[in-house]
Amino acid sequence: MTNAVAVHGVGTSHFGRQPERDLVALAWDAVHEAFTDAGVEEVDAVWVGTVFGPPGVAQRVLRAMGITGIPVITVENACASGTTAFAEAHEAVRTGRYERVLALGIEQMSTAFDGAITPEDTDPEGRTGLALPALYAMAAARYLHLGAATPEQLAAVSVKNHAHALHNPRAQYSGRYTVEEVLASRMIADPLTLLQCCPTSDGAAAAVLGPATGGSREVRVRGLALRSGVPWNHASPHVWGHDIVRDTAADALAAAGLADVADVDVLEVHDAFTIGEIVTTEALGLVKPGDGGAAAARGDTALGGAHPVNPSGGLLSRGHPLGATGLAQIAEITWQLRDEAGARQVEGARLGLVETMGGGVSVLDGNACVVVLLEAP
Amino acid sequence: MAAVDALEEAVPHPITVDPRPQVTTGPDGLPRVLGIRCRACGEVAAYRWPRCPACRGAVEPAEFGPDGTVWSATVVRIPVSGRTPPYALAYVDLDAGPRVLAHVLPAGGPAPVIGSRVRLAEATPTGDVQVEVVP
Repeated sequence: MTNAVAVHGVGTSHFGRQPERDLVALAWDAVHEAFTDAGVEEVDAVWVGTVFGPPGVAQRVLRAMGITGIPVITVENACASGTTAFAEAHEAVRTGRYERVLALGIEQMSTAFDGAITPEDTDPEGRTGLALPALYAMAAARYLHLGAATPEQLAAVSVKNHAHALHNPRAQYSGRYTVEEVLASRMIADPLTLLQCCPTSDGAAAAVLGPATGGSREVRVRGLALRSGVPWNHASPHVWGHDIVRDTAADALAAAGLADVADVDVLEVHDAFTIGEIVTTEALGLVKPGDGGAAAARGDTALGGAHPVNPSGGLLSRGHPLGATGLAQIAEITWQLRDEAGARQVEGARLGLVETMGGGVSVLDGNACVVVLLEAP
Repeated sequence: MAAVDALEEAVPHPITVDPRPQVTTGPDGLPRVLGIRCRACGEVAAYRWPRCPACRGAVEPAEFGPDGTVWSATVVRIPVSGRTPPYALAYVDLDAGPRVLAHVLPAGGPAPVIGSRVRLAEATPTGDVQVEVVP
């Protein structure tokens, strides 16, 4: 006997460069809001997603808000750490291991790095100097070479998501940029320019999960899936990160009993770099192969389009505190499905999708990917 | 080798085992990357790992290169710890071998055109795999 699971409450801190606030303060903002939203004072267990720690950070932030004694489990799955915490919390409720579980994502990047994340020295490609923007730049350069996207289409993703963020007061950046301005911003790793890269961010995000009881504000978890990457190499038909998203999405759709991703009304996907959103929309099956860039340029994936992607502004604009990102995506889709997203609301959204993909381990097609399907009350 | 050893010692780093592919010299005097080939599924990798990363099958030592084709390439223009930007990197599919990440000669030069033919060069004194475009 397993439980249907629902998101009972969500919360986030402000996202942005905020080195003057520690993770105790950022986590409190997220957890206090999520508890208030859920109408609870306590939980039975906590899963915490974080990448750069430091060790003990989960217990350190939780004890400051009086959450002690109960099981606290820290997970790391690169950029998918927050959604991995969500997936594990979901499984704990689904199987009845715990009744009410907090999933929390936390990360403070501004005090850890001067600029881009330092490549990991124990990884072959990290040791070779492959900064993360360069990994995505490889995919972008390949797309341009194949004619699967144009520089202007890459830039269109940035224009769209920064415009979406104008309506998100929690976002780090927003603005009405032109394609020309995006392309004219400083080159980071050819062909990706500064405005096509997510910023350095600090933040926390949280969700309270419990059995679905049919409450008027409960967002039901229709289904989810988590995969780690298989080898990606010379024999792979697609760019890095495509196949893991495709396969995880297929698992999640099957778990949700959905036949077609086109039934989804609103999506939050992993746009750490512009090319990431293009590859992801194709891998999800939302658009045809090679049409991801054109779809963004046409407005298909903009608010008001057929399939709005990243109404929050995405990682490009909201910011990307790694461990917090997945739960910020969950929070955004929860607000969308409860019709609480204000000026960025997707009208009548009933079904939402969250996708997070994290990488950095050489040879693998991503460290992990999580896809979650959520349904309106 | 003595000169290379001296250079290695001149560049201190805290990690004793280098995770990057090892470049050796083949019988023809040209560079090769040391790796493995899976006896079960034929998967290749540029690393001396105990099992096949695709199927967990038994593996045998293999050498790859020196020639290959550029799958994609970029120029890194941001500061990266211990390196001086800009520097070009390429994913190179070695002929009948794995995809490897390599620095592109000449250092500080442009990214090679995707699809162009390249050849392994000696690794840098600090251990980076390098390729140069075949004219």
